Amino acid sequence: MNGQRMARYAAVAGVLAGFAAIAGGLSAHAMQPLFGTARFFGIASDLLSGVHVLVGLGALMVAGGLITLKWPSVGAIIVCVAAMIGLTYTNDRGQYRWVPLLYYWGAPWVCAWLAGIFAGYSAYQRVPQVDEPPADARPAQGTGG
Amino acid sequence: MTEVLRNAGLKRVRMRLITAVVFVFTLTCSGAFGMEDVISSSGPGLTLLMILILPLVWSVPMAFVASELGAMVPEAGGLYRWIRRGMGEYWSFQGGWWWTLSLYVDSAVYVALALDYLGAKYPVTDDTLLALGSWGFTWRSLIGICVVAAFTFINIRGLELTGWSLSIIQVGVMVPLLVFTVWGIAVGGGNSFSPILPQGESVLTSLSLGLAIMMWMYAGWESMSTLSGEIQNPQKVIPRALMIGTPLVIATYLVTVYAAVRVARLDGADNWTNMWTGGGVDFVAAAQILGGGVLAYLLLLSAILSNIGLYAGYLATGSRPAYQMSRDRLFPGFFGRTHARWGTPWMAILVMGAVNAVLINFNFSALITIDVFLLMFPYVLIFLTVMILRVREPEVPRSFRVPLPTWALGLWVACPIAIAIIALFVNGTDWMIGGLIGILTGPVAYLVFKNVYKGTTDRALEGSELKGEGAAGRAGRGAGGVQA
Repeated sequence: MNGQRMARYAAVAGVLAGFAAIAGGLSAHAMQPLFGTARFFGIASDLLSGVHVLVGLGALMVAGGLITLKWPSVGAIIVCVAAMIGLTYTNDRGQYRWVPLLYYWGAPWVCAWLAGIFAGYSAYQRVPQVDEPPADARPAQGTGG
Repeated sequence: MTEVLRNAGLKRVRMRLITAVVFVFTLTCSGAFGMEDVISSSGPGLTLLMILILPLVWSVPMAFVASELGAMVPEAGGLYRWIRRGMGEYWSFQGGWWWTLSLYVDSAVYVALALDYLGAKYPVTDDTLLALGSWGFTWRSLIGICVVAAFTFINIRGLELTGWSLSIIQVGVMVPLLVFTVWGIAVGGGNSFSPILPQGESVLTSLSLGLAIMMWMYAGWESMSTLSGEIQNPQKVIPRALMIGTPLVIATYLVTVYAAVRVARLDGADNWTNMWTGGGVDFVAAAQILGGGVLAYLLLLSAILSNIGLYAGYLATGSRPAYQMSRDRLFPGFFGRTHARWGTPWMAILVMGAVNAVLINFNFSALITIDVFLLMFPYVLIFLTVMILRVREPEVPRSFRVPLPTWALGLWVACPIAIAIIALFVNGTDWMIGGLIGILTGPVAYLVFKNVYKGTTDRALEGSELKGEGAAGRAGRGAGGVQA
């Protein structure tokens, strides 16, 4: 395992997650311009339609993927959190869950998870371990019986 | 070094086999409450068949795998440690995180269920004691917090007291249930296997409706492993307890459901369709049909104790992975503190108790749906770990070994892995959305904690050479915290 290589994989996965979300948003738009209820946690706006959320969060994920090249942990966290927000959005549809929109988040979720995994491997390689017990790990006075 | 990190400060207690069996029984079964929903949604026949068949491809593989891994890696933190040895730091953190996240919610559910059972008979528990804006502090909240506080203290006090508590609780659970079962089989009527399916439902639909609950009912075999660092000879005690507990749990479910369907039929041949927890013909209502008020109250007590027992058990086991992750410098440091006198991870237990005390006051039904989903992923990691260690470390001694060659074990564990994956898709989108979000919290948490706390090398647990282990091991024992 090579930390830098893993970071590159994470970046590719993050960018792919973003493009998958954007493609899903554009595809949904082609069928229905304002796909999904334009509302999120009580805030109503056309900018919060399913299409806008897919494209907007997709762009954020692409940015996160690019940031991953320089700062793998920061970029991957952006990608994963964007996917989490997108999934929360599918849940907050008045009908509790909204399957059509969930389908569009399938591919971005898989890519975001992969970005998180690769970034995790990268962090394991790049972050120097501390080989000493935590200072507050105090031993017990008595032993079993 | 590794010994200092893993077990220093923990007090190992001598746990009798019967106590270990009680632990296993509590964590996996604790009575049969909750089966009512499976009966009405999947049909009595299919429920009984699932009780008999599902263990072969779901819970028995886990019990055997947990026994083998527990015998090979008898370390505090259990499954978290196994996965670390087999798959390294990243995946062990993921497994430990998902498992802990699931149990933080899951354990609060048991207290809420106990309170629901109590509230069904004593609605006074919903009276407001203190109004804070739109939120009211009720008798229910007070009783719940008292239950959480009591078992948090018992757990901090040590496994001996926890074991005694669970034993007493299980007597309270099983005696009324046994009376109900024997009486129900003797007096009830009809064939409990008929009909196989609810009318008009296909096998697949009926199966998917009940599968999630059955998987939940048959989960928990890996839980006791997390206590390995606090039990003398865990590599012998826990596998034996699992081998005894497995048939015990299957038998408990089988005879209770068999009896309950017969009892429900006393009020009409199709009365099993009304069986569900919380308002339908649950086991308490069935006891009312069978033996009147006295038996109903005994079953109510049994149901409440069952959920309290589950809470006490999962508070014990659910708090340990966080403790070990803290020791590995992958979690906030205070989680890794041990009690100077009682030798328990008191801060990890206290934090879990505090979270539970808060959760029981809110409607968190949406969070419950992510429970089983989140548990599936650590299970898959555990099954992969046993295969990796079989291939990579075949010569390492195991006091218990699944009596199958590696290729056959692979085929066997492929069944629960397949079930886990199928369950992700057939149990409804409410499961899926919450679960998918929960899964993504794993990488995010790892990246945050790894960068903040750095992690620590644990060569022994990752199967590499034990460089410097001798001196470090002596230092650990010199600190006086660990018994051999």
